[in-house]
Amino acid sequence: MQLKPKALQPNATNARRRLIAASCALLGAAGARSQQANVAPADSGLLEDWSVDSALAYYHEDGRILAIEPVVNLAKVFADGQSLNFNGTFDSLSGSSPNGALTSHTAQTFASPSGKAAHAYTTAPGQLPVDPHYQDTRIAVGANWTVPFTRVDQVSVGAKLSDEHDFLSATVSASIAHDFNEKNTTLSFGIDNEYDSLHPIGGAPVAGSDYALAEKQTGGKTKDGVGVLLGVTQVMTRNWLSEFNVSVDRFKGYLNDPYKITSIIDSAGNTTGYEYESRPDQRTRKSAYWENRVAWNSPLSTALSLRYMSDDWGIRSDTALLHVRWSLSNRDRYIEPTFRWYRQTAASFYTPFIPSTAEPTTGYESSDSRLGAFRALTYGVKYAQKLPGVGGRAESEFSIRAEYYQQTFAERVPVPAGLQGLDLYPGLKAILVQIGWRF
Amino acid sequence: MKFKHASSLLLVCCATLASGCTSLGVKPWQRDVLAREEMQLDADPLDAAIDDHMYFSKEASSGGRSFAGGGCGCN
Repeated sequence: MQLKPKALQPNATNARRRLIAASCALLGAAGARSQQANVAPADSGLLEDWSVDSALAYYHEDGRILAIEPVVNLAKVFADGQSLNFNGTFDSLSGSSPNGALTSHTAQTFASPSGKAAHAYTTAPGQLPVDPHYQDTRIAVGANWTVPFTRVDQVSVGAKLSDEHDFLSATVSASIAHDFNEKNTTLSFGIDNEYDSLHPIGGAPVAGSDYALAEKQTGGKTKDGVGVLLGVTQVMTRNWLSEFNVSVDRFKGYLNDPYKITSIIDSAGNTTGYEYESRPDQRTRKSAYWENRVAWNSPLSTALSLRYMSDDWGIRSDTALLHVRWSLSNRDRYIEPTFRWYRQTAASFYTPFIPSTAEPTTGYESSDSRLGAFRALTYGVKYAQKLPGVGGRAESEFSIRAEYYQQTFAERVPVPAGLQGLDLYPGLKAILVQIGWRF
Repeated sequence: MKFKHASSLLLVCCATLASGCTSLGVKPWQRDVLAREEMQLDADPLDAAIDDHMYFSKEASSGGRSFAGGGCGCN
């Protein structure tokens, strides 16, 4: 939610930024969270213009995925307080993606999901099995429309469409926000509905089936989810703003990763085969989120957010994110270090491998490391500089930021002697570099 | 009976929260600091969107600040 400063007459840049913020809150309650639209000065000429926020991100994992992601957001506030925005994202991904199999002392050969012989690949002994032919592009577009219908109430509706080679997602959302207590308190409620259609390359494998049999199903798969979010934002003091959200979402349908397999390991540590993963066909997540923004003095401010999440797959997670902004040169530029700490427990059906001696079961299993127990740290820094405006605007802002992300696996199951000496939990290291320009 | 107790407790909590909120806050002419860009909850929306996408694809959690859905086949 958003409390706008009523005492100050926002300048053009501030108004644009608030507008961008309101718009970029990608669908949902975030749209209603922000009552920014109301504060834009009605007599400002900038209302005739579209505000532009753009960024180009470069993401690279150590030895795995490389992604290039340009993003743009266009927003406009109308004289009656309504606001409209459109956003677009393009992702280009390539590189190597783990297939879920366990590292082995011997070479392992895998067929590609497509079944094309030319795309079969062999993983050297001691290396994490990854599909080296991973490649995909994603285009996502979204729109959000916010309408104030009283001085203290507004509704927001949005839609988003995302398309990949094997995946199509459509989301609609609606939210409502109400200010009271002299606009020091805002209550918001939002609901969203996502529908996904999957067409796995080579067909969707039968969950839990033998990889060697390549049992694939024809036709696509679907999943859909509904989420609700209830939030309260409170101005605590003149320099302290707090927000608290609770949310629940429930997804049903095909929740497997069709490209993930799990190694079957005998008592000596040899790989005797593989099995396609099998996850439950529904998942309910609950989360609580608390954010505090505090201006300590003129140049120094912090934003600290804490999140707790749990789901019925047995996963619990804690997240803490801290931004520290130090403004310089009469607020014409700033530097902002960032630190994020994250940990999660494993899903109840997560297993890095299946013992060959295990009794056949119709239960669930997945070796997807994203469902395992790990900790992750992110270190980042951002620098932003105001520049002369373009297109008649008073000013623009250029920014550059970099982040380093590292996952470290926390829990390790006992392994057969034959697997000793192998790095079975290699974790993940990645960097993100992003440049941004808004005007 | 338990439900009745829980409802009463919830009612008391809401009343306490509401009364607490009314004693917080500032007057309209005291919003100068809150007007700063860095004090907006969505101060850097594109940064947040890009980060959220990265974490969505690498972790089992998402959402909290907003809805959890990702609209991405990456997870």
